Amino acid sequence: MLSRVADHLYWMSRYIERAENIARLMQVSVELLLDGGGSSARKGSDYWSPVLAATAMEGAFRLLYPDSQLGDSSYFLTLDERNPDSIRSCIREARENARTARDQISDEMWAELNQLYLLIDSDRGAALLEATPQAFFEKIIQSSLLFGGITSATLSRTEGWHFIQLGKFLERADKTSRFLDIKAQSVDPSDTDLEALEWGTILRACSAQASYRRVNGTEFSAERVLDLLLLSTDFPRSVRFCVRMADEMLHNITGTLTGRYSNRCEKLAGALLARLNFASASDVLDRGLHDYIDDLQVALNETAQAIFETYVLIPQDTTQNIIHPATFDPLGYHYQSQQLQQ
Amino acid sequence: MLLKPYRPADLFDELIDSNGQVRPYYQPVVDRLFHLDPRDLAHKVKNLELLFLKHGVTFTVYGDERGTERVFPFDPVPRLIPALEWETVEAGLIQRITALNLFLYDVYHEQKILSDKVIPEEVVLSAAHFRPEFVGIKVPRNTYIHVCGTDLIRDRDGRYLVLEDNGRCPSGVSYVLENRAAMKRFFPQLFGSSGVRPVDTYPADLLAILQYIAPRQTALPNCVLLTPGVHNSAYFEHSFLARQMGIEIVEGRDLAVLDGFVFMRTTHGLKQVDVIYRRIDDDFLDPKVFRKDSMLGVPGLVDAVRRGNVALANAIGTGVADDKVTYAYVPDMIRYYLGQEPILDQVPTFLAWRDEDRKYILEHLPELVVKAANESGGYGMLIGPMATTAEIEEFSQRIEATPRNYIAQPVVYFSQHPTLIDGALEGRHVDLRPFILCGETTKVLPGGLTRVALKRGSLVVNSSQGGGSKDTWVLSH
Repeated sequence: MLSRVADHLYWMSRYIERAENIARLMQVSVELLLDGGGSSARKGSDYWSPVLAATAMEGAFRLLYPDSQLGDSSYFLTLDERNPDSIRSCIREARENARTARDQISDEMWAELNQLYLLIDSDRGAALLEATPQAFFEKIIQSSLLFGGITSATLSRTEGWHFIQLGKFLERADKTSRFLDIKAQSVDPSDTDLEALEWGTILRACSAQASYRRVNGTEFSAERVLDLLLLSTDFPRSVRFCVRMADEMLHNITGTLTGRYSNRCEKLAGALLARLNFASASDVLDRGLHDYIDDLQVALNETAQAIFETYVLIPQDTTQNIIHPATFDPLGYHYQSQQLQQ
Repeated sequence: MLLKPYRPADLFDELIDSNGQVRPYYQPVVDRLFHLDPRDLAHKVKNLELLFLKHGVTFTVYGDERGTERVFPFDPVPRLIPALEWETVEAGLIQRITALNLFLYDVYHEQKILSDKVIPEEVVLSAAHFRPEFVGIKVPRNTYIHVCGTDLIRDRDGRYLVLEDNGRCPSGVSYVLENRAAMKRFFPQLFGSSGVRPVDTYPADLLAILQYIAPRQTALPNCVLLTPGVHNSAYFEHSFLARQMGIEIVEGRDLAVLDGFVFMRTTHGLKQVDVIYRRIDDDFLDPKVFRKDSMLGVPGLVDAVRRGNVALANAIGTGVADDKVTYAYVPDMIRYYLGQEPILDQVPTFLAWRDEDRKYILEHLPELVVKAANESGGYGMLIGPMATTAEIEEFSQRIEATPRNYIAQPVVYFSQHPTLIDGALEGRHVDLRPFILCGETTKVLPGGLTRVALKRGSLVVNSSQGGGSKDTWVLSH
């Protein structure tokens, strides 16, 4: 597969997943706003600050809106084209990447993504958000999930699929960990009502409420939430699950056995997975949730950078390793990429 | 009901003959159209265009920083061409492309047609797209133009005339295929038992040609489509064709030249490229040889082509054949190379660089159409009868200054075709762009793209200037 095309598929997938996660967080936050009423819950423009923090957009927001008014932050997160990570910008980017790699995806995938883009980019999108924010967020989430389903049902499990999954799971790992960070930065841990409300919010943002209750009932504790959202091997939005999938996809691309590595991104992903495999919730809390998540973020970013350097940037060295189609052998790549690590 | 207010104009009407009768081969379609509710028809067209938008069957509007994509407006009334009529058009097109390829081989090798003084040497040597760097360079199978999109119009008597030969990077074939698919989906009842010849073999035929010209005859030569990128107006077509053929669509930055071979950068290293179906002009192909500022090209590509390590479709330098001055000599080419009379007529052409022609042009500007020799897309044109005095003055100065750059032709009012406008049928001017593929054999796609000028009285059919398109049916009997 062309390096540029692999990069487009990866980002197409990351951006749609990103849009979905922002929509998830906003959807539950709107509910929380309504629930909070006159109690201790945050209000107005201040209300969205955890969401801005969780999506690492606080700085950009302050820059664009030095004197923010009520409603600014919600516009900034949803339809503001000046914000490169607003839902609208993410969908535009996802669609633009798909358009550039259209020969590698199915017609159905393209049509779904393009349709979502045409909606969000039109007055109809703005009207929907204005009238029923919940329906707007639901539309984004549904469409992203549908896109994943269509991809799964229409795309061959070749390299393109691996890069798409890689983008999706890295983005999801990043966002789930950021959602947990909201709790880590919670203002008042002594308020037990608020505590339950906040954990509930995060679980719902990750569609994890039912899974949590089946195991733990209605009691909330930090350990149990972390067991599910950070360390679960089975729950598809847990950080560990996502990192395991990303690691698997990387190994599929080169054909390397799991537990070994043939290039830097496999090494980094494998190391991160091992760290999560042997962690417990109490270790995490001992280290401090926020610091632990910080480390996680660094490791995820390094992995993403290594993927870019390995597959997209094409170092000059590779120009000396010419692969002729007649003798093309994917395993030959191991040798090549190991040379690059020296 | 639909047809009642329809009036044929004082020119060739595709539907109504000179006695005011519906041409017999149109009758079945007219009958079926008759049964449709005009509002239902318009509603279906709207849905069809929405479907095009959803699937990204669009072109990009230039000069708009948001990169707005538009649907090429679609008209549901199909244009019909009876089998016998098409046989003549097809034979004429094959004859013409055969002569053009022989001409290109000749001017890039012995130049016999020039030494025999059939075409003045200066016409060829002064053509902007003549590439002296390619004289004596062998091209695979001695074919230069593999894909040609010849524009045809019909004069007052219904004769098909060649308006221009697009032998560089003709576009529009994706709309032929998409229009047909849309017609089948939205208007299946119109087809009846018409016996419409299919068009969907085009991608397979094109791929066969690309494989046929591969320098390395391996079992599966690596063919790619080179696009200028996602912001090009025809990007949809590029990705459409690549998908239909199952080949990679590449940009210049995906390719690299090493030791005279072309490679593409893949996640598993470099992979050799054998054939490039390029949708980039000569000028932008290789910054080392042509335009130095080209960001789209591949440094070293021309060298790889010269060495015969990679094949291009179309070859470099075909622009000398579709130059509008060269056009005037195509009938002579056909006689010279093939010893035949041209089957298809063309529009009489005055060449400004010939003294007596220039005199005539300058005296008759208000009656003539003046065209720049190397422009396309309806740019650089003067339509005398519609021009202002100032425009005529401007063109006469331009012609005096650079006579080689201009030609003039009498205005041809091309045929009109019933077209759905605001729920009723009205006559609108149409042209026809058939697509010709030259490989082991020469094949013409049955029909082609019928473009229609949606503005009343307008002769401009270009998508960028208010044109639309319709499905073109070549009848099998």
